Amino acid sequence: MALPEILPVLVIGLYFLGTALYVLGSALRNERLKVTALCVAGAGFALHAADLCVQIGQEGFSPSTARFLLSLMGLGILIIFVVFWLWLRLRFLAVVALPLALVFYTASSAAPGIKASLPPMLSGLFFFLHIGTLFCSMALLAMGFGAGLAFLNMEKRIKTKSGLKTFQKDMPSLNTFDRMNHWVIVAGFPLYTLGLASGFVWAWLTARRVFSFDPKEILSLVMLGLFAYLFHQRLAFGWRGRKPAITVIVVFLLMTVSMLGINYLVPTTYHGFKP
Amino acid sequence: MDKHIFLVGLNHRTAGVDVREKFALTSVADFEKSLLAACPLREVLALSTCNRVEILVVADAAQCANADIPAAVLRHWAAVCSGPLDVLEAHVYRHEDLEAVTHLFRVAASLDSMVMGEPQILGQLKNSYRKAVETGTARVIVNRLLHKSFSVAKRVRTETAIASSAVSISYAAVELAKKIFGELAGKTAMLVGAGEMAELAATHLLTSGIEKLFICNRTYARAQELAKTMKGEAIFFEDMVERLKDVDIVISSTGSPTAIIRAKDIRDVLKKRRNRAMFFIDIAVPRDIDPDVNALDNVYLYDIDDLKEVVEENMSARQGEAVKASAIVDLEVAAFATWMKSLALQPTITDLLGRADEVAARELAKTLKRLGEVDDATHEALEVLVRSVCHKLLHEPICFLKRRTREEGSAERFIDVTRRIFNLDQDPVNQDAHLDRRIAGDDEASGPDDQCECCRDDADGKD
Repeated sequence: MALPEILPVLVIGLYFLGTALYVLGSALRNERLKVTALCVAGAGFALHAADLCVQIGQEGFSPSTARFLLSLMGLGILIIFVVFWLWLRLRFLAVVALPLALVFYTASSAAPGIKASLPPMLSGLFFFLHIGTLFCSMALLAMGFGAGLAFLNMEKRIKTKSGLKTFQKDMPSLNTFDRMNHWVIVAGFPLYTLGLASGFVWAWLTARRVFSFDPKEILSLVMLGLFAYLFHQRLAFGWRGRKPAITVIVVFLLMTVSMLGINYLVPTTYHGFKP
Repeated sequence: MDKHIFLVGLNHRTAGVDVREKFALTSVADFEKSLLAACPLREVLALSTCNRVEILVVADAAQCANADIPAAVLRHWAAVCSGPLDVLEAHVYRHEDLEAVTHLFRVAASLDSMVMGEPQILGQLKNSYRKAVETGTARVIVNRLLHKSFSVAKRVRTETAIASSAVSISYAAVELAKKIFGELAGKTAMLVGAGEMAELAATHLLTSGIEKLFICNRTYARAQELAKTMKGEAIFFEDMVERLKDVDIVISSTGSPTAIIRAKDIRDVLKKRRNRAMFFIDIAVPRDIDPDVNALDNVYLYDIDDLKEVVEENMSARQGEAVKASAIVDLEVAAFATWMKSLALQPTITDLLGRADEVAARELAKTLKRLGEVDDATHEALEVLVRSVCHKLLHEPICFLKRRTREEGSAERFIDVTRRIFNLDQDPVNQDAHLDRRIAGDDEASGPDDQCECCRDDADGKD
């Protein structure tokens, strides 16, 4: 088997092993297991990046393939995770980042022949403006989703005095999760807005229409509205804690529906991945 | 084993505070030495804390056959403390040999403490050991036993979670605060009212890095007084709610019959501080803080009962960890037993070489004094010379002991002989020693044996 063929199997295997070991290490409060898990996942990450390079080398830069896009999304999530890990010491988010990277990479490998019906004019600038910004904000949301769930669970336990679970004793404080939520919103909303705006501009440039009542467009606008509300409430009204955590979780779930649900299942969308 | 280890003691479970007070050894000077003089013992270690008094002694097997060592120790103990012997006997526990070793390891690892896992006992044990070393009542076995018990304590601490969770109200409060705020550096706390527990919690918060502490009391003078000792800032009681907007952690323990902090007030305070989280610790009974405060977003309220529950949960978690810790203790006891049985040669060799070095150093110092000023090279050459003469002289006897150790049964006797020939335990020479030597001088094996304490000869005879 040639290396490019074996790469996906290796990446999926390493991500899976990394995820399992990290979850196990967290449950058992075993530091060595966690470090091993991160090393395994790190190897997976390197091979994942290599796989993307091989893809570009073989097929040229083809941003419209589902395989490329989903794989890039998985990689993006891990990069954002590493940023938060180094910055806010939120290594705990590996519990969310590793399985998500696994899901996105596996989805990309399962869809090698599927292509989004995007015209080839999506040049470097628009790719960066539309896909790059949206993926960054989605990866941020993914991390915000993990932090939000952890916050809600831990907050409930502290509030109701039901005692923390063993693994929660190693988790960061509520304040750290809230700071994370703050940065997800502060960085994610402008990126998302830019991504959406560039998409509409591009639609106008190519098809001479801004809005075509595509399900993905409608959902994206709903998400933008929610995101804007969240951005406003957090920055202007000092929202903290539960409310922004819940809203980020909702926005992330909508994003997942939009990214995996609509692209694959709705035949009418022009964002869809079609064989 | 030609030596026996005995441990007698009383602790918080076997004796009330009045008995422990009566038989405490903290104010008894040179207890170890006096016990050594009063009883036929080789080594003594005494540990006396507010929760326990323990006396660990090592005696020769031969002497144990003739005397009830623990009873003798108890008699001396009661006499020294001028307390009734029957009361002491009714409250003490006695352990022998490996049981005593297990008990000591458990004490060191804080498995026997009132608050299991508390770290103070190890420090107290170290102090007792230091005292025994200084007075010269700790020798081979106590040395090894204590060093081992320190390492057992360390293993238990690192390999189990026995000391990982807070088991006092004030520590539990600090731990919770850390779970809410993360680092406490830069955070502000307010102490409302006074009270021992509240002050303790505030002190713990300060040591955990709290930046500022406000102190509020109905009596402003009292607040000022406390502010001085705790390096805080006194504020008027009337300003309390107004100042809450800058406060992250509130510890309240006033004697007020009604709530002094209401949910309505806190709702306004939260608006002013843009929903930054607040942690309220209500130690007062009846409660000072309206329980509805806990229903507000980003506000966490714990009263004394909630904190007690946290502590109890942590305690039961420690009980679970104690099983793991006991397994570690058992392993280490087994290792110690093996050492007692087979490695008695090692300390003998160490003592032998130590004695040789001591003699060499002493003789070198004498010679150097006679020679006057010498250059460094000569000094070093002389040092090497005396040391190598000593070590070479001991080389053959050590090889002989090692050879004999391999032949089961004979090692103990030869080690014993060696210790006596070189007087490694620094026993005072018996008055009858010379007489004995004159009588039994012809036998090469029993000769050196006979010159030492006669009671030892009985043991040899039995072997």
